[in-house]
Formats: sequence, C-alpha cells, structure tokens
Amino acid sequence: MTQPIDTSIYTAVTDAIRTEAARILSDGTVTAVAGYAAARRKGSSQPIVVSDAGNADKLIFTAACVNNLAVYLTKAKKDIPKSGRIGVVVKGCDLRALVGLMGESQLKRDDLYLIGVPCAGVLGSTIQPATELNTDTIAPKCLECVERLPVGCDFVPAVTPPPAPELEKKYASEIARLEAMTPAERWAYWKEQFSKCIKCYACRQVCPFCFCEQCLCDRNRPQMVETTPRPAGNMAWHIVRAMHLAGRCAGCAECERACPMDIPLNLLNRKMAKELKELFDYESGFEVLECGPLATFTEKDDQSFIK
Amino acid sequence: MSRIGVFVCHCGENISRTVDVERVAAEVGKLPGVALATDYKYMCSDPGQGLLKKAIAEQRLSHVVVAACSPRMHERTFRKAVESAGINPFLCEMANIREHCSWVHDNREEATEKAIEIVGMMVERVKRNRALPAITVPVTKRSLIIGGGIAGIQAALDIADAGHEVVLVEREPSIGGHMAQLSETFPTLDCSQCIMTPRMVDVANHPRITLHSYSEVEHVEGYIGNFQVTIRKKARSVDEKKCTGCGVCIEKCPIRKIPNKFDCNLGMRPAIYIPFPQAVPNTPVIDRESCAMFKSGKCGLCKKVCGPGAVDYEQEDRLIVEPVGAIVVATGFDLYDITEKPKGSQIKGYGEFGHGRIPDVIDGMTFERLASASGPTGGRILRPSDGREPKQIVFIQCVGSRAREKGISYCSKVCCMYTAKQTMLYHHKVHDGQAYVFFMDARTPGKSYDEFWRRSIEEEEAVYIRGMVSRLYQKGDKIVVMGSDIAVGVQVEIEADMVVLATAVQPRSGADILAQKLGISYDKYHFYSEAHAKLRPVECATAGIYLAGACQGPKDIPDTVSQASAAAAKVMTLFAREKLEREPIVARVREAGCVGCFYCRKVCAYGAIEEKEIRDRQGNLIKVVAYVNPGVCGGCGTCQATCPSKSVELDGYTDEQIVAMIEAL
Repeated sequence: MTQPIDTSIYTAVTDAIRTEAARILSDGTVTAVAGYAAARRKGSSQPIVVSDAGNADKLIFTAACVNNLAVYLTKAKKDIPKSGRIGVVVKGCDLRALVGLMGESQLKRDDLYLIGVPCAGVLGSTIQPATELNTDTIAPKCLECVERLPVGCDFVPAVTPPPAPELEKKYASEIARLEAMTPAERWAYWKEQFSKCIKCYACRQVCPFCFCEQCLCDRNRPQMVETTPRPAGNMAWHIVRAMHLAGRCAGCAECERACPMDIPLNLLNRKMAKELKELFDYESGFEVLECGPLATFTEKDDQSFIK
Repeated sequence: MSRIGVFVCHCGENISRTVDVERVAAEVGKLPGVALATDYKYMCSDPGQGLLKKAIAEQRLSHVVVAACSPRMHERTFRKAVESAGINPFLCEMANIREHCSWVHDNREEATEKAIEIVGMMVERVKRNRALPAITVPVTKRSLIIGGGIAGIQAALDIADAGHEVVLVEREPSIGGHMAQLSETFPTLDCSQCIMTPRMVDVANHPRITLHSYSEVEHVEGYIGNFQVTIRKKARSVDEKKCTGCGVCIEKCPIRKIPNKFDCNLGMRPAIYIPFPQAVPNTPVIDRESCAMFKSGKCGLCKKVCGPGAVDYEQEDRLIVEPVGAIVVATGFDLYDITEKPKGSQIKGYGEFGHGRIPDVIDGMTFERLASASGPTGGRILRPSDGREPKQIVFIQCVGSRAREKGISYCSKVCCMYTAKQTMLYHHKVHDGQAYVFFMDARTPGKSYDEFWRRSIEEEEAVYIRGMVSRLYQKGDKIVVMGSDIAVGVQVEIEADMVVLATAVQPRSGADILAQKLGISYDKYHFYSEAHAKLRPVECATAGIYLAGACQGPKDIPDTVSQASAAAAKVMTLFAREKLEREPIVARVREAGCVGCFYCRKVCAYGAIEEKEIRDRQGNLIKVVAYVNPGVCGGCGTCQATCPSKSVELDGYTDEQIVAMIEAL
C-alpha cells in the first residue's frame, strides 16, 4: 500500500542552505559551495558549484537531490577550486563518504565547511524526478538509513526529519535470499548479472572512493583485468570493485544509480559491509579512523577461516 | 633480447635422484631468451662457480638462473659469483628445485615436469629483473644502552673503551640493577658489591659515557645506523650538576619511615634519598609521593640545608633527543611476585605459599638483602617478624618456574645455584641452624657449578628433599611446611622459622611496552626474541637492536656479562664501517599513480613510508604521495599487496614479474 512521505521540511532546508551559503561566501569563510540546483527537466536537480554569494539562491534541496557530492571533492575529479575552504551540502549518506575520505588522507576536515541536510529520503534511481516521494518511489538505501540527521557538521538547518517509514529493508532481504542459495546458484546469479556489464565504468566514475588517478584496471603492464566486456573480465572487474570497497563503501548507492545496465551493485557492497559488521563489528564512515579493520591485525580477529 | 644462462645443479644426488636434470636443461634451453642451459654436479663448488663465470664471459650472458637449492641456502653465493663476472648481482635468481621439488616428490617423471615449470617461471622473472644499485646509509657511531644493570654496564664499558660514545639510560635513580642488591655470588662466593661498584664508578667517570639515570625511553624513531631516541628525564628535584653528594639533606629529612625498595622493603629510607650508599650517580632524589613539601607545601628543610642550592622543587620532567646508530636492550628481570595473582595475566598466583601474609616467608632477593653486609640487618640473617635468628630454614625451589599448570613452563635457570649458595651463607652465619631445600631437580650445568652444589650438601650440611611443598601455614611463631619426599615416598612436615621461595625470573614489568616502542618482538612471557636461537643469539630481528642479559631469558651473571660483551662486539662491528650497505630489494612508489591514500603507511611494519610533496616549477603543491625510505624498508611487500592502485612495487617482485611467472605455468 503506497503511502506518501512528508517532504515538507525541504522548503525550510532549501531556505536555510541559501542563507548559510550566502553568509559563508560573502564573509570569506569558503571560496565555493557545492550543492544542488534545479535542472532543466521539471523537478529534477543537478550538482552545482556556487562561488558568488549572489548565486546562492540557485541552491535547492528536494527529493530529487540524489547525487553524492563527495565525488566532486576527490583529487581525481578536479571540478572544484583547489584553493581555500569549500562548503558542501551533505546528506547523512554523503557525510559517511566524506568521513571515509578523511581517513584515507584525501580530504582534510579543516578544508571543508559541512552544511548538513536533515533528510526525509530521496527518490529511487528509476523514478522520474517530478514524482512525489512515497513508500514506492523512495530509494532503497533510504530505508536502511541510520543518519537522517547528519552529525558533526558545521551547520545543520534546525528542522527535524520525519521518522523513517517502517518498510521491508530491500537490501537486507535480498542478501538473505542470496545467502540462502547454494554457492552454485549464487555464482549463476552473479554471472548473469555481470554478463550485462558493458564496462562503461560509470560505477567507478561516480564512486567517491574510486579516487585513484590510474585505476589498476586501466593498466596494461601487467593487465590485471581484461578490458573488453566479456564474462571473465566482467567478473574480475566487479570482484575487484567489491573487494576494494570492502570496509570503505559508505552505502550511497551511486554505483547502482549510475549503472545503465541495472546491475545490483550496491547489493554486493552491502553484503561486504555486513561481513565487516559481523567479523569486526565495524561500520564505515562514522569516525575518521587512522586504521580500518582490513588494514590492521589484532589478536581478537576471527581466525576461523584458517583450517 | 636477453641472453639468459640457466645452470641446473644435481646437488650430488639430492636433485638428480628424482629429477632428470639433463632433460630440464634441454627443455629450458628452448625457452625464448635463454642463450645457454647446462647442468653440473655441484654448482656451488669452486669448479661449478668457475663454470658459471666462464659461461658469462664466453656466452655474453645478461641474466642468470641457477636451478638448485633454496635461495636461503646459496642465493648469496651465486650472486657474488655473478658479480665477480661483471653482472649486477640482482640479475641472478635461483629456481628452487630441491626443497620445492626433488625432496618432496618421488615420481621422477612428474618431478621433472615440475622442475621444468619452476625453472621456466624463474626465467620469465629474471628477464624482467632490474639491475639494482647497492643502497648505502650512514652510521651514527653512538650507541644507546637501555638498562644500567650488569648487562648494560658491561656493554657500555666495552663500547666506550672501543672509542665510541655511549648513552646509558636507567629507569631507577642509580645504576647497578639487581647485581648491586646481591650479597655473595656463586660459585666463588665473592662479594657482589665489591665487584660491581667499581664498574659503576667506571661508568660514571668514563669520558665517553653519558648517563641518564632516573630516565626512561619515551619514543624511538629511525633505523639501523640512524635512530632518534627521545628520553624522558624524570624530575629528580635535585640538580645533578650542583649536587655534591654530601648527604646533609638525607640526614635532615623529617619523613624517615618509607620502606626502601632496594632493601626489598625491609629497611627504611627518608623522602629524599639515595637507594644505597654506593649509588651512581651519588645524587639524591625526592620521592614526591612521600615528601611533606610536595604533599602539604610545608617543610622545605632539604632546600634550606643544601649548601650548593641543588634542591629544586620546581623541576619538571625533561625530554631530550639522542641520535644513535645502535641500541642495546638490557632491561633485565623482575622476580615473580607470588603475593597475588597478577592482573590480566595468564599466570596463576601462589596463595598457598603465604608470601605476603606470613611475614617470615620471603623471596630469594629478600634473603640476599638480609645476608648482605650493607643490608638492613648488617648481614645478619634475622626474621622480618621478630628479629630472631631462624634456626630451621626451608628453601623451596621452582616457585613459579617449571609449573605449566600455573602458567610459566620455563626454568628460571639461576635458582638452583643461588639456593645452594644461600644455604651456605646461612650455614656460615647461623652455625647451629639447619637448612632444608625442597627441589624438583638440581640443574647445575656451568663451570664449577655442580661441585658448588655438592659442597652445599656435603660440607655445608644442607638437607635436600626431592619433592614439592603443598602448603604452608603459620602455627604460633613457626611456619609449618607440608611437603612430600618422593625419593623416600613419605610426607614431610617441617616446623620452620623462616621460608625462602626461589620465585621465577620474569622480564621487567613494562618490557612489552618498551618492545613496542623499539619495534622488536617478544615471546608470550615478554622475554625479547633473538633473531636466531643459535646463530644470532644477541641480535633482534630488527636491524641495529641487540639484546643483553635476562631481558632475553633467565641468565646468571657470567652468561649475562658474556652476552653483553657479545652485543658490544656486534655494535662495534656495525661501527667499524662508515656506511652501511644493505640489500636493495625495497619497495618503490610509482608517483604518477599514487593518490596518497597512505594505506601503505598504515600497514608498513617498518615505518618506512613517508610523505613526499610533488610541486610544479612555480612551487605550487600538486599532490602528496607516499615515499619509501630505502634505508628503513624491510622489503616485505605488504604495501604492494595493499595499494589499491598498484602504485608501489617491490623490486624483483613486481606485479609484472609475478603475472609473467603465472603465465609461464
């Protein structure tokens, strides 16, 4: 049964973002603010970098503001002025990515001015932007969100997001379904999913954690991953991606949104996150860590895999 | 095109028995890039190496693969041979067809096939090897010694006498360690202090030894030849430079009833004190927890009476940095305290022996203080409870040691001998007394040791009872010792006046924390681990750090002094060179690919990864990348495995080489 989700706070959030952006731009706190602006299609949004206080009223926040702006702050994607402090509009999920990037020496907290967004949820990747947010159109990641009100930001509009709708958690139930399969069935499932891949690397380009200047998959001495979209190379690429994101992925689901072939990429990432939670009681993106569980060893670590 | 020479060794019959070496040579000879493939009975022999050198010259070889034993065995041999023939030694690799093939298989056909593949892989690898220049690092010819007991003192004097500067750090207010506490030493019964204190004075007067007493190592950075050690000089509250050691402050101090740790808490000392009369340096220290001035702000007597004005209540801890090239760790031991179960330890306590509850149950070190002429009783053996002379005394050996069920399985090595000595000292001082010893075995290997032990029984009338004690309890002013004599098979009950427990030797408290600062390994008891139990017994696996004395394992004085001199010799060997040459198999960063996530730094066990700024010609910062300090890198390759963009690689083990090896299969 479809129920509407209350997004009325987004008006107040938009106003607060505009006021704050204008203030920090005009008093010189930041040199630019990365946020969302209305795009050409009705109801849609696109990322924008505002460096003039006069343009601050272009900023908006709606349920169509799906992008994770953290990707624009990493080194490999140099779209934002490098000098000075940058303001950035962040949802809770985006904030987890920023925290992860700080732990990996890609960003410094002092270089950022974080404008947190109290979030009621955003639209799913296949939903038309002008659609109303309801229990059918909300992105699956929002159903598992634990950070609707970002913490540790420099500014958060003083509104309270509505409680999350009590719905079936789609990733959790899908993981349970896959875990119940035999290894052969699971292999067949992923083989079929990955056979769709056309190696466009949109998942890599949109991921805030794929910040390498030269991806190892683009190297040819030695060639680690076959470049043509054939089954073996596809499988290798997606396994490399899942392993490289284990313990790092913040769960923004941008990979899944950007994938033109509708491969359930975030499902793989959520499974890795679940493993990390079970093995090391670790969830990424909540504190800036000097050393995550996969880059360290303690005597308490699970040794049961040694047989 | 490379001209690779492959030399297949028979290793006598070790390889040729299971592997058809001629066929291996013939098959490998067909691989692209191989100019010559031949076999020989003993490649490592002089004629074998001659064959290799001759082939390099005649065939103009560019790379060499020796298919023989493990590289651990002969890699160095063949690299040297290749170098003398004019090829960079790192263009020579070994294919292990002995341990990895002939020794573990018996089917000749299959073993030969496997050997061909192993050699083929190494051909592909060596083809992609780079000629590596030797890496040299400078040597700072100063050494740090941690611990001022007999081990540290011996090492310090040896190194300083050889002409190098020494920095000696001691945690306590005076050097001397446990040996300064002992009365007389086995097997010659010479007075410990009489032989120890002149050494302590030598340290104090040595022009090349800098002594930091009442100090601790705070932090260690750097690597062999180039350590930077931060030392915390704890606030002594007395200026070492001004103090003349006259001792007036000690006489005048009104707080006098503080148990003296040096005397195992039997004697008393004032709040401003030197631990014992022969202390080096002879500078008092104020015990701030007991001093009235620090507790209530009222007193200041020591400052008033101090002629040179050395007493300074305002003094604070100071941090100093000492550059050194080598470190000798000589932190010594503690005696196992059986009073209570140590917190958080797997070692169980010994409540049944009453130590800590029954005042006349003491440990071996307390007995030493009672027997020492400079001790709290002036060398008379008296009961701590009532000051009477004990007429029946029981010694119990292996308290803590060799007790797997209690958590310590090792032998503490010195207790058999010191207990024998203590029965003698007792007999010399209490002529009408009787000593009993409960023991499991008497372990007396060592020059004149067994004779010494026999003497304690045959001439000094100690009664040795083979068996352990089950329980002790106080009965009136006696201690009832219940044990078994397993030689006779009866239960024994002795009413003793005093019981001495030979408690286990353990590493100094905090040994694990120091090891973590130094980056050296330790065993489950926190004894430091040597690099090789037989062939490198005084070196740590971490280059430039050496071990001396009981911090490595229980040791008596002669062994400790020998090991200290051995460690000193190792330091001097290091200092004999101006520059250190080290194996150049180190990681290198491909800066174009590095994005500076520093996962490599997080996993590097050697602390070899540093930050490097890349700037353009105008000086603008482009990016920060990882840099591997080749002097520190241990060549383990963990960074290579961790790097997400594969931007750091170990020379000789690059991904390109490893993939080529896999593809050769």
